[in-house]
Amino acid sequence: MCSGSNSIIQAQKLVDQLQIEAGMERFKISLTAADLVQYCQEHRRSDPLLTGISASSNPFKDKKTCVLL
Amino acid sequence: FVSVSCCPSKMACQGLQKGETLASLKKESESLKKKLEEERGKLNDVELHQVAEKVEAVAALSLKTRRVLKGHGNKVLCMDWCKDKRRLVSSSQDGKVIVWDAFTLNKEHGVTLPCTWVMACAYAPSGCAVACGGLDNKCSVVPLSLDRNENLAAKKKSVAMHTNYLSGCSFTNSDMQLLTSSGDGTCALWDVESGQLLQSFHGHTADVLSLDLAPSETGNTFVSGGSDMKANVWDMRSGQNIQSFESHESDINCVKYYPSGDAFASASDDATCRFYDLRADREVAVYQKDSIIFGASTVDFSLSGRLLFAGYNDYTINVWDVLKGTRVSILFGHENRISRVRVSPDGAALCSASWDSSLRIWA
Repeated sequence: MCSGSNSIIQAQKLVDQLQIEAGMERFKISLTAADLVQYCQEHRRSDPLLTGISASSNPFKDKKTCVLL
Repeated sequence: FVSVSCCPSKMACQGLQKGETLASLKKESESLKKKLEEERGKLNDVELHQVAEKVEAVAALSLKTRRVLKGHGNKVLCMDWCKDKRRLVSSSQDGKVIVWDAFTLNKEHGVTLPCTWVMACAYAPSGCAVACGGLDNKCSVVPLSLDRNENLAAKKKSVAMHTNYLSGCSFTNSDMQLLTSSGDGTCALWDVESGQLLQSFHGHTADVLSLDLAPSETGNTFVSGGSDMKANVWDMRSGQNIQSFESHESDINCVKYYPSGDAFASASDDATCRFYDLRADREVAVYQKDSIIFGASTVDFSLSGRLLFAGYNDYTINVWDVLKGTRVSILFGHENRISRVRVSPDGAALCSASWDSSLRIWA
């Protein structure tokens, strides 16, 4: 009966797991999505890849180099 | 996998058999699954892109390749940025791990591991070490020496031991702890100094392919994705699986938290990337196009979370507007699959690693 109790233990674990998940407090998307949008908006000015920053402030963009003659 | 002892004590065995039969347990889990679906459905009062309708569109991006890092002899499988925003570590199929200065293209350190397919690498928060591993089933930490001539491989220290390949690794908020994911179906948290296993995370029913730690302000959780098509959120202290998402139709290759910690994105072999809201406990966006038919292997967000960079097996990187669900740009340049994309810590650049043996910096 070893394999029998094995699958019962696994099944009990699944039920316990699902009970934990079912007990979770959830919120409506209209509320949570508004927060996600707000986060993007609040941080958009400090997102270089989004806004694009000038060559002088981005170390990866090549600046025109000065040559001393 | 969980090793459940085949013969628990006789009394426990009888107790279990007395109370619950297998059939009644299965019935209970089915009704719980149904209840979960109903609860999640109740919250689906609006779509993310509808909430984002009034947000202005993303302006055209002018992202170009600014650097090409050549030096690996074979497929580059992973990379990670250093907190100093200029160094990065990369690992490849031929066992090599290289630390680069991305500004100058200088190779600062190189280690050759005895195994091939180094699938995971990570930079330590201090910048003084890197972690790496792959087919050796281990994750090792290599301290980076200032002395160029020092043989780094000699100082390599094995920390994590799995029973199958290492697919992902990440330091927690210090150099002292390492979180790993493995083909053995588990994730694990390790003490770097002693090599001791602090916590293991069981729940995936197939290879775990990726993990990502929640941003530090959000607390002690991480998300993992695997070949069982599930993305699981875990409590690091208790080892408990607190949330689970199953909407992808194939392996989940990569998971990454949204910068606020309230959501995460995933990339899958089903050619889609998806966005999951943790507080609504459901998927809220799918990033897909009929023309995109190859698997997505990797994703990362720009600093504000507005852009999602996703690397695909068709050699391209698609840039998605996270809120509106539309594609805003395609980055061409690599000549083979993209294995990893990562935005630099200050958000100024994107690094991509590819099976074409090179890494590219885009800005």
